[in-house]
Amino acid sequence: MATISFDLVSPENLVFNDEVGTIIVPGKDGDLGILPGHSKVMSSLRPGRVMVYSEDKNLIKSFFVSGGFAEINPEKCIVLAESVVEVNSLEKTSIEKEIQELENKEGKESEEQLSVAKAKLEAINVNYYDKI
Amino acid sequence: MPSLKDIKTQINSVGSTKKITSAMKMVAASKLRRSQEKAEAARPYSSRLEEMLSSLASSAASGEGIIKLLTGTGNDQNYIVVPVSADRGLCGGFNSSINRETFKLVKSLESNGKKVQLMPVGKKSRDFFNRVMKDQIIESFVDLNVSSTGYESALNISNKLQELYFEGKFDKCILVFNKFKSAISQEVTQQQLIPLDVSNSEKKEEKENSSNAIYDYEPDEETILKDLLPKNVSIQIFKVLLESDAGEQGARMAAMDNATRNAGEMIDSLTLKYNRTRQAFITKELIEIISGAESI
Repeated sequence: MATISFDLVSPENLVFNDEVGTIIVPGKDGDLGILPGHSKVMSSLRPGRVMVYSEDKNLIKSFFVSGGFAEINPEKCIVLAESVVEVNSLEKTSIEKEIQELENKEGKESEEQLSVAKAKLEAINVNYYDKI
Repeated sequence: MPSLKDIKTQINSVGSTKKITSAMKMVAASKLRRSQEKAEAARPYSSRLEEMLSSLASSAASGEGIIKLLTGTGNDQNYIVVPVSADRGLCGGFNSSINRETFKLVKSLESNGKKVQLMPVGKKSRDFFNRVMKDQIIESFVDLNVSSTGYESALNISNKLQELYFEGKFDKCILVFNKFKSAISQEVTQQQLIPLDVSNSEKKEEKENSSNAIYDYEPDEETILKDLLPKNVSIQIFKVLLESDAGEQGARMAAMDNATRNAGEMIDSLTLKYNRTRQAFITKELIEIISGAESI
């Protein structure tokens, strides 16, 4: 079976770089499942989970990204994300606290932070895509 | 003639200076390695972003709002200059060359009838421009500590710049910074940040090579471009901050290496002087004793 090369890049470093089977990225208009040989697409991303699977469809890693871009061509998929954390390392209680604090604040900036924090919480709670 | 004790004190004090400078050199060398690694780690992101941007740039001929970051305001009157220096001194000509270059740039722009404002980054340039052109400074950023705080610090500067830009406070933004060439040499570089300069010949070639690559855009080209442009400003600033940080460590290492060597030479010459003086003193005493004995 074929593989596709996947790069996950944050401004500070290269987070992930390997040959994988499938990737799911949170596109702005909906999730994109990327398999080897995918057509050429450039998409911006919403805050959400980037899931990486091996060739035999086992979940290797899942990351939370706070937005960014994906560039996809048949051989390669590159995700440029502004901040990347592994979903496993997110802590539920601290995010809930953050949401509470942000809800009391006004302004455009804190609204954006709030939507990111909410997406983080969702990323921990949901488990669809764990098996594909 | 200085007494023996004076020379001895001087030797000791130069010796302790030497110890300090050589310690600073070691520290700078290890920081340099770390800064270099950081700068290298940031490279894939910025180069990818540039590639994406250049393939998108052609699709935006003109427009309002965020697209202005690419197309410019159409004016060429108000400039903002951002000198990027270090927060601390003792790194040779690193800071002063930035200040000198910026000063020259501002003066030449002003003589062409442009209005120039300043936004210094780093204590050394802030202090300098506070003295010479205080009323032109609109904002300054110090204590950034880019190697530990990372991307956040660049984001602050970029947000402030974009805020001012969309308020119509300036038409062009130029960065002046030390480009990291090697551990011992930095090059003062000017880079136009806003509007974005995509006319880079190197990139054009790349674009032609990948011209057969027709992408589907999701949601559409314009929306992506609107997301991409502000990020590009931040990432360019981030890259510049990292380069400048690495350059600072390199410059400090070279400066401290020089200082250590100079201190060593000074100690050698002082030791020689000390020995000579002591010998002269002994000779003098001997002569006194001998002539005393002869007279008896």
